[in-house]
Amino acid sequence: MSLVSDRSQIVLLGILALLCIAISLAAPQFYTGANVIAILRQCALVLIVATGMTMLLVAAEVDLSVGASLAFTGCVGMDVTNRTGSLVLGTLAALAFAGGVGLFNGLVVTRLKVNSLIATIATMMMLQGGVYLYTREAVQNLHQIRAFTELGAGYVGGLPIPVLIAALIFIAGFVALRFTTFGRYLYAVGANGKAARLSGLRAERLKLVAFLATGLLVGVAGLILASLMNAGQPTAGRGFELTVIAAVILGGTSLSGGRGTLVGTLLGVLVLKVIDNGIIILRWNQDLQMVVPGVVIILATWLDLVRRRRDAR
Amino acid sequence: MPQSVSSLAAAPAGPSLLRRLARRNEIALLLSLLAVIAFFALASDTFLTTRNLTNVLGQAALPLVAGIGVAIVFISGEVDVSIGSLVAAIAIPLITIMNATESFALGVAGALALGLAVGVVNGYLAAYLGINSLIVTLGTLFILRGGVYLYTGQRAIPDDVMLESFFQLGNGRLFGVVPHPAVIAVILLIAFAYFLRHRPFGRQLYAVGGNPEVARLAGYNVRRVKFVAFVISALLATIAGILLASRLGSAVHVAGLGFEFQVVAAVVLGGVSLSGGVGSLAGMALGVLILQFVSNGLGMLNIATEWQLVITGGIIIAAVAFDELKRRRA
Amino acid sequence: MTKLMKTLFAASVALGALAGAAAAENMPKKIGYVVNYATHEWYQNVIKGMKDRAAQLGIELEVKDANLDVAKQVAGAEDFMAQGVDVLIITPVNEEGVVPLLRRAKAENMPLVLEGNPVKGMTTMVAICDYDTGYHAGVAAGQYAKEHLGGVAKVMNVGLPLLSATVLRSNGFMDGIKTEIPEATLVHDLDGGGNPDRALEVSSAALAQNADVNIIYGINDNSSLGGLQAWKAAGKSQDGLLVVGTGGEGLAFINAMETEPSYKIEAAMFPEKVGFTAVDAAVKVFNGEAVPEHIVSPTTPMIGADWKKYYSVEGTTRSINWDAVNGVKPADKCMKTAADLK
Repeated sequence: MSLVSDRSQIVLLGILALLCIAISLAAPQFYTGANVIAILRQCALVLIVATGMTMLLVAAEVDLSVGASLAFTGCVGMDVTNRTGSLVLGTLAALAFAGGVGLFNGLVVTRLKVNSLIATIATMMMLQGGVYLYTREAVQNLHQIRAFTELGAGYVGGLPIPVLIAALIFIAGFVALRFTTFGRYLYAVGANGKAARLSGLRAERLKLVAFLATGLLVGVAGLILASLMNAGQPTAGRGFELTVIAAVILGGTSLSGGRGTLVGTLLGVLVLKVIDNGIIILRWNQDLQMVVPGVVIILATWLDLVRRRRDAR
Repeated sequence: MPQSVSSLAAAPAGPSLLRRLARRNEIALLLSLLAVIAFFALASDTFLTTRNLTNVLGQAALPLVAGIGVAIVFISGEVDVSIGSLVAAIAIPLITIMNATESFALGVAGALALGLAVGVVNGYLAAYLGINSLIVTLGTLFILRGGVYLYTGQRAIPDDVMLESFFQLGNGRLFGVVPHPAVIAVILLIAFAYFLRHRPFGRQLYAVGGNPEVARLAGYNVRRVKFVAFVISALLATIAGILLASRLGSAVHVAGLGFEFQVVAAVVLGGVSLSGGVGSLAGMALGVLILQFVSNGLGMLNIATEWQLVITGGIIIAAVAFDELKRRRA
Repeated sequence: MTKLMKTLFAASVALGALAGAAAAENMPKKIGYVVNYATHEWYQNVIKGMKDRAAQLGIELEVKDANLDVAKQVAGAEDFMAQGVDVLIITPVNEEGVVPLLRRAKAENMPLVLEGNPVKGMTTMVAICDYDTGYHAGVAAGQYAKEHLGGVAKVMNVGLPLLSATVLRSNGFMDGIKTEIPEATLVHDLDGGGNPDRALEVSSAALAQNADVNIIYGINDNSSLGGLQAWKAAGKSQDGLLVVGTGGEGLAFINAMETEPSYKIEAAMFPEKVGFTAVDAAVKVFNGEAVPEHIVSPTTPMIGADWKKYYSVEGTTRSINWDAVNGVKPADKCMKTAADLK
């Protein structure tokens, strides 16, 4: 199985390399340090949440509320930091809120047995409404704590801090999925929910953990976004859920569960963000930022399918 | 209509149980709808008027028409979320052709041609190439919306010829009372309910969605059934798009944003399962009407958007959870 | 509401009563407002201005939100007509998409006032001039660039091609700045989606492509702030940079003008005043009085600490200074409108 997934990543790696070379030839600004950092910073936000989303999709569930939760979390984090003057309390509040949303989604799906697509559309609606009940306008940075600004815009050893955070989360997620029983069971639950339950695995608890992890990761991303924008923005995060899910699917994770890797997700994030960036660097019509990813996702899924069918033969 | 569920000979449970279950589900939905109407009738003095009730029926017509197609795709075990962009896209050939030829019929033909093409592409990619239908239709959702923006330069295309027949289609009322879109929705609903219940396609659809392996063994062409479901869905979304274009008097590039969520939520609320093989058009229709009356009623009570979102989300979770729990107990 | 605001309102009530006394024949009982996007700060303030004016005149005001959905907008207007309101005010989600609605309202003799964008077959519209707003901000930016930026103007426009209003603002800004600096160039013309995070993302990419920019223009505050945050995230100093925002609907721009050294100009559009004027127009239309086709609501560029003339802030509440805002003279006619874009 690992061999198959490795090969599917070669296709993506090829697409990514081709894209980078083609864009660089047409516009050398593409591979300047400034642009590479800009791309990586955008990738970081998506990758952090996509790490959790990969686990959910592997377990045959999905979370569409991450975009709405991202905006709400940023507002909560900024507001609590303003009120208490403590970045630690603000961070904890943001994580608690986002984790709570994840837990709520998980409980609705595992306990009430609501299909996760519907449950999280409903959570998305409630969060979109709720954030405006919480704040009418952007929550301004009144505390001016330096460490908060550093979270989004700072550097350690030449690397942007969000990229480092994303890398740490990615490695942790990679280890958890690949080398722990949690990861192995998650694949088993997604591949065949019924059989896994019969063999004594606590399928529902595993799914709950995946929802909670996704929620917490949204909290991390929400804080970074609030730092980057220097405000908690209730209007942020629109369509973010689709970008995250598209990246995970592009990375070869199956929507029906049981199959997918984080390395694939990483490549998926990179491909989508390079396309997004390339269209601006090449000064193409920005409406293509919607069309091209649509084509790429269908195409990549199809190529993956063809390759797997050939391998199966 | 519930019988169509039971006609699945290969279903694991006995037909009579399934039939009872399906019927009970629709009765629960009907009671919920009546409760919603009763609540708003008591809470608002302008809610329970002929004018308002017929208005809501007219407004519900769009999700009803598109919902028939989405429900059929769901029953076949697949998903179609491309309809939100499709309703905006088909308005472009509709309006441009009408502006050029002054013919309503030719405009409709152009719209149906585009709808058919999208349905064929969705169906081919999902049913014949076997790509996950959520991915396929999410892809076409993006491609069509981007295409609309590119083609129109993000400007709405006005209806320059203003044909009376086109205006009346979405804005007129039968006998001055029932909005034309509601009449069209009811006719389509009855036609498709009959089609699913009394034609072989209905039986095949439930079999394919319920258990594709068994359906294949029974000699059904699983791929063709799914393919047809996607084509039907795209054509019905096209009709919904034509009604919308008439109400808007133009091809509006931002029309239908989020329409797919609205319809999917209503269809699932109506008891059509995302995992295929289960559900009825009557349930779907009740699901649409419940959400439409809630939206209208909350508006009549002057409830702010943010609360409307919170309440609607809560209703969806509660209703689907209730349905699932009931199903498990049965 | 703060005390200050209440006092100001009491004052304007008195003024309004004086002004209204001459023409006070009939007041509509109920006005229905179908807004395109009620949760947006801009419309929050429009609604605030409407409610305040309606309360002064003893009119009941009800609001239905289309939440950016064209179909929901038509439904909202239908619902109002079924409820029996006396006048409708509509801010179209899309100006072409309400043409049949206007026809139906006319057939039912329902007086109707539009806010924001002109529509075929309308009686009257209350709106700011988007082109002029951008134009005057452009002129101010050009003067600033002459004094502080060595007469160089290389502009990054964080725009929104989706709406004609926002396209007009961007066009006006470039035309305005060219009256002062004819060789001003538009280096980047971006679609920032009007959202802060999207604006940040596309601006980051654009600055990486070509950072030879010294003026950032945003079609709303989210866009200008997103552009500025991208500039800061790229590790650039704000020396020699000018940021110009549009709207001035919330606290965000005030915060930026106080803390960011480059955020010097804000094109104020006074949403409260738009709402106030729309209710007055609704009363006139209800009484069958003659009204101009376009009633202009004033806008003006605010430079540096100018904002304090028009607004005061207490904690997280912003109050409008009606005397100053009512003193801003609107143009009789817009220099350019959406019709000129075609």
